Amino acid sequence: MRKIIAKEGETVKVGEPIAIIADAHEELPDLEIADDKSPEKQEESSQVIMQQEDRTEDEKETIPGKIKASPAAKRVARENQIDLSKVTPSGPNGRIVEKDVLAYIQENKVRATPVAKKIAMEKQIDLKSLQKSPVERITKADLEEQMMMQEEESTIPVIGMRKIIAESMTYSKKVAPHIYLSLEVDMSKVIDIREKLIPLVQDKYDVKLSYNHILIKAVATALRLNPLVNSSFTEEKIILKQNINIGLAVALEDGLIVPVIKDADKKGLGIIAKETAELILKAKNKKLLPDEYQGGTFTITNLGMFDIENFCAIINQPETAILAVGKIMKKPVVVDDEITIRPMMNLTLSCDHRAIDGAVGAKFLQNLKEILEEPMNLLL
Amino acid sequence: MAEKLYIEALREGLREEMLRDEDVFIIGEDVGLYGGAFGVTKGLFQEFGENRIIDTPISEAAIAGAAVGAALCGMRPVAEIMFFDFFTIAMDQLVNQGAKNRYMFGGKAKVPMVIRGPMGCGTGAAAQHSQSFPAVFAHFPGLKVVMPATPYDVKGLIKSAIRDDNPVVFAEHKLLYWTKGEVPEEDYTVPIGKADVKRQGSDITLVAGSIMVPRSLEAAKKLEEEGIDVEVIDIRSLKPLDLQTVVSSVKKTGRIIIVEDDPISYGWGAEIAAGIAGSEAFDYLDAPIKRLAGLDIPIPYNPNLEKHAVPQVPDIIEGVKEVLR
Repeated sequence: MRKIIAKEGETVKVGEPIAIIADAHEELPDLEIADDKSPEKQEESSQVIMQQEDRTEDEKETIPGKIKASPAAKRVARENQIDLSKVTPSGPNGRIVEKDVLAYIQENKVRATPVAKKIAMEKQIDLKSLQKSPVERITKADLEEQMMMQEEESTIPVIGMRKIIAESMTYSKKVAPHIYLSLEVDMSKVIDIREKLIPLVQDKYDVKLSYNHILIKAVATALRLNPLVNSSFTEEKIILKQNINIGLAVALEDGLIVPVIKDADKKGLGIIAKETAELILKAKNKKLLPDEYQGGTFTITNLGMFDIENFCAIINQPETAILAVGKIMKKPVVVDDEITIRPMMNLTLSCDHRAIDGAVGAKFLQNLKEILEEPMNLLL
Repeated sequence: MAEKLYIEALREGLREEMLRDEDVFIIGEDVGLYGGAFGVTKGLFQEFGENRIIDTPISEAAIAGAAVGAALCGMRPVAEIMFFDFFTIAMDQLVNQGAKNRYMFGGKAKVPMVIRGPMGCGTGAAAQHSQSFPAVFAHFPGLKVVMPATPYDVKGLIKSAIRDDNPVVFAEHKLLYWTKGEVPEEDYTVPIGKADVKRQGSDITLVAGSIMVPRSLEAAKKLEEEGIDVEVIDIRSLKPLDLQTVVSSVKKTGRIIIVEDDPISYGWGAEIAAGIAGSEAFDYLDAPIKRLAGLDIPIPYNPNLEKHAVPQVPDIIEGVKEVLR
């Protein structure tokens, strides 16, 4: 044995030399022999290397990021929306040919109802992952189940109410420069009067009087004193609305709607309470008629029930102001230089500065505060 | 239908046209009493006489020039060049006169002539008597080029060529002269510029011309035994070229080999390959376009080497298998 070529434990292809057996005086063949450095031998060994390189030509031809596929394979892949990188090539030089793509399609064929296929396409769900057995068809129900499971991944189409909300909120913020005015109201007397009125209203109108009902009445009264806040803005003119129609934002499962209590300034608390309760019920059941959520002149939005202390609302165009109402909270306040505990409620008025200047909004808010802190004013 | 030799069918076509139209005449070396070097015009001298079967001195330039001139004067000459190799001597008359006159005279002149001759190797005729280069003439606007492969086509195409008002280069492979095929008795023509599907198949398209048509058909027959379904298109005309027939076939099979007798460089197979690559068939190609053609060498005198100079049946079989691999 003159030379060992393959190392111990190395995997060698069939037909490749692993060692050279020869007599001591015999010249060695032209194989790569590292320790034999004569110029002649070097030249010869480089030829051997070239031959070896030829053998790996196929692999060298591959350009990273490029997939070798015949035009027909590419066409079939395109027509069937197949990612060629997932297809195993069988053609020469690692080329994907048409039959490879067809085989891939066959292998990955999923049986599904047309509706299921349509939904899967829309929601980008891989139908293959849902396959139960090769014969059973995937149905719409299977997909819905899957969609429930992947809740965080699921999407909500921006259509219908969502689309209207998205468009009108964006529009309002775009066209109306909002200013925000905020103050706190001592609700002690409202609480007292409500306690007293609850049984009466219950008796007469069969409805439980809420703070919102009182707020609607109070706001309507304050608006009568501040007509500019009860207006709508156009490029040419500000329209001071004759009627005071108070909208009340009502949260729904998939959005919100604003039913309108018409002529709230002219109605008594009982009527307001009854109408409001009915409208809210209708809103939650999605039974509101267009007439019942259109024509508002001012909006109240109350997130107190969610423990929100204060927030800034976006004006419901073409109105010029909206009142955001926070939670009634007991707070230490200073009254006559004494710290005392009072039920306080934050009110934040968003005004469209194109129509309402800070002082005008502030005046309204101040009037509202006076009414709420001395609810007897409602009688005036 | 009667079976006839290619050479007989060609002669029949010439004779029938001479009978039909007295303006048709034949001019060439030894075409008269001797009946042509390969015997194509045998018997015609006796039938039509020396005014219509004209022997010339050994000058292909003179033959071609006389034919162009006669055609311009209203005759319908058929010029025979003894070997296709010597079309080179006729070339100036053909290319610079025959191909141009109709255009240069604004359509007022026409050149209704045919120039024909035997091409190809396989007879041990060495480098100067064995060449196939009809594609050379397809390069020149104003010339039509046909190369019929069967007795039926040679008769139909010689008639179309004689009746055509443009100069037509008519290439006959000398090995085809003694091949047989069905030829109808009645008058018929084969249109110039229309390829012919000689065999229907679904796995691969072979586009062949002249002698390569029977070789491709033989290869297809052998491949059929191995379950390979080969379509063979006889291109028949190099100009005008019927690419659409090839495109339709490739859309069906997804694979194509062009089989040529000409040397490979700048051959008509390249024209078809480029046409396919640029056509709607591109998206149906499932393997690279392959060409089998003559080697870039003069045809050797040694019979074994001569055989290897152009594609033979085993080469076509091997080529098909390679493309289908």
